[in-house]
Amino acid sequence: MRFVARRLGFFVLTLWVAVTLNFLLPRLMPGNPALAVLGKFKGAVPPQALKALEAQFGLDTHQSLITQYGHYLGDLASGNFGVSLTTEPGTSVSQIVLHAIPWTLGLVGVATVLAFILGTGIGIVGAWRRGGRLDSILPPIFVIMTVIPYFWIGLILILIFGVKLHWLPYFFSYNYTLTPGFTWAFISNVLEHAILPGFTLLITTIGTWILTMRNTMITTLAEDYVRMARAKGLPGHRIMLDYAARNAILPNLTGFAMSLGFVVGGAILIEEVFNYQGVGYLLLQAVNNEDYPLEQALFLLITVAVLVAILLSDIATAVLDPRTRAAR
Amino acid sequence: MRRLKAIGVLIAAGALAAACSSGSSSPSSSSGKASGPSGVLTIDNESGGTWTCDFNPFNLSYIGYSLGPVYEPLAFVNTLESGKATPWLATSWTWGAGNKTLTFTIRKGVKFSNGNPLTPADVVYTFDLLKAHPTLDINAVWSVLSGVAASGSDQVTMTFKTAAVPYFYYIADQVPIVDQSVWSKVANPVTYSDKNPVGTGAFTTGSSTCTPQNIKYTANPHYWQPGEPKVGTVNYPSFLTNDTANTYLANGQAQWGSQFIPSIAKFYTSKNPDYKYWFPPVANVSMFINLTNPLLKNVAVRQAMAYAINRQQASTIGEYGYEPASNQSGIVTPTFSSWLDTSQAASFGSNYAHSTAKAISILEHAGYKKGSNGIFQTPSGQPLSFTILNNGGFSDWVAAVQTIQSSLKAIGIQVTPENLAATTYQTDLYTGKYQLAYGSETGGPTPYFELRQWLYSANSAPIGTAAGSNFERYSNPATDALINEYGATTSAATQHSIVDQLEKVMLADVPVIPVTESVDWYQYDTGSFTGWVTQSDPYAQPAAYNYPDWGQMLLHLAPAK
Repeated sequence: MRFVARRLGFFVLTLWVAVTLNFLLPRLMPGNPALAVLGKFKGAVPPQALKALEAQFGLDTHQSLITQYGHYLGDLASGNFGVSLTTEPGTSVSQIVLHAIPWTLGLVGVATVLAFILGTGIGIVGAWRRGGRLDSILPPIFVIMTVIPYFWIGLILILIFGVKLHWLPYFFSYNYTLTPGFTWAFISNVLEHAILPGFTLLITTIGTWILTMRNTMITTLAEDYVRMARAKGLPGHRIMLDYAARNAILPNLTGFAMSLGFVVGGAILIEEVFNYQGVGYLLLQAVNNEDYPLEQALFLLITVAVLVAILLSDIATAVLDPRTRAAR
Repeated sequence: MRRLKAIGVLIAAGALAAACSSGSSSPSSSSGKASGPSGVLTIDNESGGTWTCDFNPFNLSYIGYSLGPVYEPLAFVNTLESGKATPWLATSWTWGAGNKTLTFTIRKGVKFSNGNPLTPADVVYTFDLLKAHPTLDINAVWSVLSGVAASGSDQVTMTFKTAAVPYFYYIADQVPIVDQSVWSKVANPVTYSDKNPVGTGAFTTGSSTCTPQNIKYTANPHYWQPGEPKVGTVNYPSFLTNDTANTYLANGQAQWGSQFIPSIAKFYTSKNPDYKYWFPPVANVSMFINLTNPLLKNVAVRQAMAYAINRQQASTIGEYGYEPASNQSGIVTPTFSSWLDTSQAASFGSNYAHSTAKAISILEHAGYKKGSNGIFQTPSGQPLSFTILNNGGFSDWVAAVQTIQSSLKAIGIQVTPENLAATTYQTDLYTGKYQLAYGSETGGPTPYFELRQWLYSANSAPIGTAAGSNFERYSNPATDALINEYGATTSAATQHSIVDQLEKVMLADVPVIPVTESVDWYQYDTGSFTGWVTQSDPYAQPAAYNYPDWGQMLLHLAPAK
């Protein structure tokens, strides 16, 4: 219990630091949203517009940083993130983020979970049958995939399966002529559009899980208790899963929790390459357009998600591994 | 001037390899029946974000998707024909009282898409709305207007504080006319999202046909121009990046492109003989010179740089030759060729034709001496060494500035590029925190607009405060007087003579150095639609992001048989 309390205390402190940095960083960046809008219009906007824009964004009212910070904390507490300035002017930020989150959770979330399950599985079996056929083929391939930039793999896949073979759609999250709704036509279209980006994410992230799982697994297999289990004549799959894998999975689990936290941040480059309307793309837009409220909401969302994920993984590790509890 | 990232090059190279295949997928289905609008036209223009499906035509972020096809202005002013004005919602107009009143006759028989007739009261209401909410008045028309009132049965008269003839463009071409019965019920027009716009235009759209990925415009069956529009549906998908949009266009999935495409011949036109493009120049990309800098205050240094910069090289290397080389007069050619005073320009070394020798001799005459490092110095030993501010997001500009760097190096002026992120770049440019800067202006339907943006002291501001457009901080009462004089005349001859004198300011004072001409990016597929803007028929600015011009284009387009 004391362990959980200490973790929670740490969580709250980290959260406050993150929230404060989140307030300061966008304001330390050069430029302002009105100038960003002017730049966006390819020069199609007359210079007279600058004043109108600054008034629209409330940039002509000068508040002290402290006052702004006070307002910011108050708004956060009441869950009011304000309205977007430049990305989707006038729309409430929470609404924009809520629209983007399902796409990212669906695409990046599913890909992350699949990559973890498959990668860990391959890692376990690969280490168990070290030097076997599976072990000598899959891990090297996927490790190579990991070091290739994933947007580049995405482009290659677009080229082969989209542009050349016409097998799969490669832009947008669904065919824009369809009306979104809970119809099979729409859902299947969404799934079809998710194949290429999802597969790209999967094959480029799986290698990390394989590598860490396989390595810790090999170390664990050399432990005395594994030898003991063999000596007792336990069946191979029991030794592999209950004795070796259960212990070896701990570092991977922490990593998995962290990457789940990062899922809400989206996969910026994948979303850009595949013209996919997720959180990652939103984040890029918000930063480019100096859309303070949207930037803040997104960074906060990511920070909180990662912090919560770490907290949960700490607790999970404590449950799985009694040693971490003992250590103060 | 679009971003051209590493990914862009990759996908371009990739799609080139695939160029042998593809080119299929029939774009539009035109039904055989002659009557009624038909066909699906898809626009391909990188928007950099998904759609919000807001259409408030007074909001800069949305005006480009509503003014033209949905909302209509009083008149159409065509930049590509030196600002020729043609009737739209107004049938005619006259200037009076020493060019201090402007009377529009409002067209009869026009209906909004909700069935309400358009009346002069709607026009008056629209302008009063801008007056009541200055943030909606993005073109600051009320900075010159003093009143707008209905007169007679079908007329609206605008009175001006000062004669401001060029504002006709902003008043008649850039203000969307809205329905009083709809907008008077809007609680806050500034934040109004206008999800279901009620306009007089040839197309309608709204929340039922708009998704974050696509705006679908449907032909308005009750449009006031008989037989228009001929296109049934317009799709405007949201493209997050240039590369996606280019691939989509080259695959024939869109028919109207507004894209910067590297190696367009291989990537696009080679795919299909019907694929065409035209990049008409409309404004300049220039090197701004900070006139508050003590070294750059000396006109000899500026003139030497104008001779030294190899404009053709900047165009060829930086812009694939798509953006032609500019001239020091600041007149965009061939678009505004009739305004270029060639004999006057000839006396300035053939309009500052590239000459390293001339540049060096000007500097030597002015008393500068080369130091041991080959860089010219002032008599007190200050080297002519500057930084040049540039938008690092535009790889074409980065390449162009490199050519400027090397051509200035050749005459003994050292220039160090600072390629910054867009927002930093803009802040520094607007607030004047730079020595030299590469950038562009908006321009307008005649060369006067760009010259005014460059040279009018009212568009300037002290260093540290954002200037409207006079980024180099040029200020000359005689020039201001010329600019004001232009505003008071409707005589073409006087306008031309004033522009000639403004060109002379550009040639003699060299406050900015135009380098290349920025163009409208425009690709079109003649196999699926006819009636496109072409070089021989430039009836509107042809990039889909030009409003209200794209509305004019949609009225000219028809499905190919």
